[in-house]
Amino acid sequence: MTDTTLAPGPRTAVGAARVPRRFASRGRAAGALRLLPWIGFAAVLLLPVAGFLLVAISPKSLGQGDSWFTLSSFQQVLSGWTLHALLDSLLVGLGAAVLATVVAVALAWLTERTTLAGQGLWRLLLWALLLAPSYLESLGWTWLVEQQGVLDRMLGHDPAVLRSVVFGPVGVIWVLASRGVPFAYLAITAVLRGLGREFEDAARTHGGGRLATARVILPMLAPGLWAALAIVFAESISDYGVAATLASQGNFPLVTGAMEQSISTFPADFPSASAMGWLLLGLVGIALLAQRRSMRGRSFQILSGRTRPARRTRLGLGGQVAALTGVVGFFLAAAGVPAFGAAAASLLPSGGQVSLSALGLGNFRHVLHSGELMSALGYSARLAAITACAAVVLGAVAGRALARQSGGRAGRLLDLLLLAAIALPSVLLASGYIFTYNLPIASSLGIDLYGTTTLLVLGYLAGALPSAARLLSGSLGQVSDSLLWAARTHGRRSAAAWTGAVLPLVAGSLVWTWLIAFCGTLLELPVSQLLAPPGEEPLSVAITRQLQGYDLGAGAAMTVVVVLGALVLIAVVLGAMRLFLPAARRLEALS
Amino acid sequence: MTEQLQVEKLSKSFGSTRVLNQVSFTVEPGRFLVLLGPSGSGKTTLLRCLAGIERADGGTVRFGGRALAEGRVHLAPDRRDLAMVFQDYALWPHMSAAGNVGYALRRRRLPRPEAERRVQEVLERVGLADHTDRYPHQLSGGQQQRVALARALVASPGLLLFDEPLSNLDADLRERLRVEISTLTRESGATAVYITHDQSEAFALADEVGILEAGRLVQLATPESVYHRPSTPFVARFTGLAGELTGRTDGPAHQDRVLLTTEAGSLVATCMGPCGADGTSVQVLIRPAAVTITDAPDAPDASVGGGDGLAGTVTDTAYRGRGYDHVVELADGSRLTGVFDRQPHLRGTPVRVTLDPDGCFAYPTSPSHSDGDDSHLFNRTPVEIP
Repeated sequence: MTDTTLAPGPRTAVGAARVPRRFASRGRAAGALRLLPWIGFAAVLLLPVAGFLLVAISPKSLGQGDSWFTLSSFQQVLSGWTLHALLDSLLVGLGAAVLATVVAVALAWLTERTTLAGQGLWRLLLWALLLAPSYLESLGWTWLVEQQGVLDRMLGHDPAVLRSVVFGPVGVIWVLASRGVPFAYLAITAVLRGLGREFEDAARTHGGGRLATARVILPMLAPGLWAALAIVFAESISDYGVAATLASQGNFPLVTGAMEQSISTFPADFPSASAMGWLLLGLVGIALLAQRRSMRGRSFQILSGRTRPARRTRLGLGGQVAALTGVVGFFLAAAGVPAFGAAAASLLPSGGQVSLSALGLGNFRHVLHSGELMSALGYSARLAAITACAAVVLGAVAGRALARQSGGRAGRLLDLLLLAAIALPSVLLASGYIFTYNLPIASSLGIDLYGTTTLLVLGYLAGALPSAARLLSGSLGQVSDSLLWAARTHGRRSAAAWTGAVLPLVAGSLVWTWLIAFCGTLLELPVSQLLAPPGEEPLSVAITRQLQGYDLGAGAAMTVVVVLGALVLIAVVLGAMRLFLPAARRLEALS
Repeated sequence: MTEQLQVEKLSKSFGSTRVLNQVSFTVEPGRFLVLLGPSGSGKTTLLRCLAGIERADGGTVRFGGRALAEGRVHLAPDRRDLAMVFQDYALWPHMSAAGNVGYALRRRRLPRPEAERRVQEVLERVGLADHTDRYPHQLSGGQQQRVALARALVASPGLLLFDEPLSNLDADLRERLRVEISTLTRESGATAVYITHDQSEAFALADEVGILEAGRLVQLATPESVYHRPSTPFVARFTGLAGELTGRTDGPAHQDRVLLTTEAGSLVATCMGPCGADGTSVQVLIRPAAVTITDAPDAPDASVGGGDGLAGTVTDTAYRGRGYDHVVELADGSRLTGVFDRQPHLRGTPVRVTLDPDGCFAYPTSPSHSDGDDSHLFNRTPVEIP
């Protein structure tokens, strides 16, 4: 297979000495231009992280200790409590990845391939899951089961058994898995949509039963399945919101929580946090290797000009009821509980007996009239929009490079870099930024980003970009190169060819990716907290300040308003997409 | 509009693999060249170099007075004034048939009514006037390829490229579309380069056939010349054989004809190299059309040589409508396939086969001759050229 691409790829960058560059008639300047995004990536992602990781093995080089080279931080981390945290994180990551993938396969099949009722609602609920930061879902459970919590006050006795389950591995795995389901769902549906019905028909006509057919189809979904497992695993072990809430209350240490503690103690123990960062990267490396090995030598370009939309299986009454029970049950446990927790907390006065007459909109009125929410919302929305646009553009470039099988060593390196960046906890990433941009060398180089909104956006981007790239690589990898080359050979310049022949096919994915980046950034907590410039207050910081100030009602009301607002935005964007991209919808086989 | 395509010393490597090795040829204006080769022979890479999708490491591509690729010059595909039909059709799935065709016409910047008229006209010519608003997934494979053909023709490009456009279609459809490609391309007057691995397709379409072997152009000639004077055993094998025999020359050659002794018997063949000396060991490659089959006389000693032609036994008979194709096993155990006769010869019957020297090519197999033995490189099932 010959690889061809319009997008600048790592291969052209790295292999320029041996492999002649395409379109080199445009000269070396164009080649150098093509390198720019990669230099940008490196500057945004690699440098602060690299500097931070260096601290573990050479603390003295960055002014953090006495030795130029040491492994003592690793010895320290690989014993006692932190080792326990590391093993817990591994267990939790694996459990969440498998659980989320299984649920996502079932959901994807039901929504893409059957006449399940309420498809739009389930999609919207998946978005709600994606939107809700993990700390919110954890808080929803906490509000319910804690002593003097909602259940306690409603039932009149303390739900101790339920609490011990929720504040432990089971609760943590469930929250992380339910948070991972939307990611896994997107990765799997991206492949499932391109997979024509003919493969299933072929299996059935060759005598395969339902189970045998599933066994044939599942390996074809492999790119989606492995992407789902890798994303959920990486997201789960790097999650900070749950580590700081459910896990810490259940005395169930996770490695991200341990890192945050190392950094927030005074004086900060950067070498230990850095060593734990290395170990996290190791875990991600294993997941990546497993994904790579399983994909070796296979080509999964299944979306071409010949692909036909799949037909849906008609569900009978029994099937419909069974499927709906499963789907409703999942969403109740995943979204219903935190929603109930937030609603109860936002509608209830903070103390006293629970009764219907006690419910009221007082918290909402307070929040909307204070003006605080509006300025925080405006600030966060602006930054989230900037971040999302940058993440989509850069993510498309990186995703394209990632999607190409023959990307070679540079492609694998990029893949590793992106996955590692996903796995890198936001709190660690932000610490890396603080650490690096506060180094004396930064200001002597004239990089005065410390304490600016620019650095906050860079932090957001570093968080949003890797997931964007990985999500986009799925759909970009499915667009056959010949569609682009057909446009080129029929007289379109490269930009026109891309916008005419490729963009309409991936527009849906681009919009979804933008929405994910936007919503994720809007409520992002750790980076906002650590990198917000003085005098500005991002949304999540405003919300958590309300929560920490024991004004639970106002905090919950703020959250409810923002989540509802975001859902309206998503509905508007998706509606607009339906209006303006009818062909794209046809391709999505939604009929 | 119609111009000459000149390719000189075109080379291309992927890593350490040499895919194209100093390929040179010229296609006269309006002529139809078919490049024939097995997979891995570099034909797709060659076509992609012509299109500008791949950049050659060295050599030139000129079309008319213009250099498309020469030295540091490498025109982008959109600036080469060509069109291409892709193996996987490459129809844009979000555009209707008319949309696909119209998109390719935009480069001509015609007024809208004129453009619409031409799109409609070319879709009519490929028989899809009623399907202009259909999307690719609503069309059959043959219809999709017709849209791709219309898309390539609509802007009347000077150079048309075809990348195995028929390989995804069934035999009947393939033959009908082949005729359409042949006639519509010639009507358009464009210079055409077509690649395929199917020799019957190549012979049927081409004004000239080029045979590619491991990145080298080993023969470029009319289909008739390639069939009657294959330059190497590889070319002979790739363009269809009934079978092969090994033997030795028995006496010197007279006007290219040489008498050979093989284990299957004696025969006269056309000498394709320095095989004039007595006792030269040769490989004999036999075209199906050169073989005539007759019932064997009931002589008990007819099993080893002697008399007229070679003795053999029918091992398979296949009815082909016009007559029968036979597989004949010769005395040395080798087989001749695709042996045609209007009358059937039943399986197991002893027969005699006579060989026309014009269709038997003797290539010396001495190690000094570089083309001598490449059967290890490529062993193709013999196929008859009708």
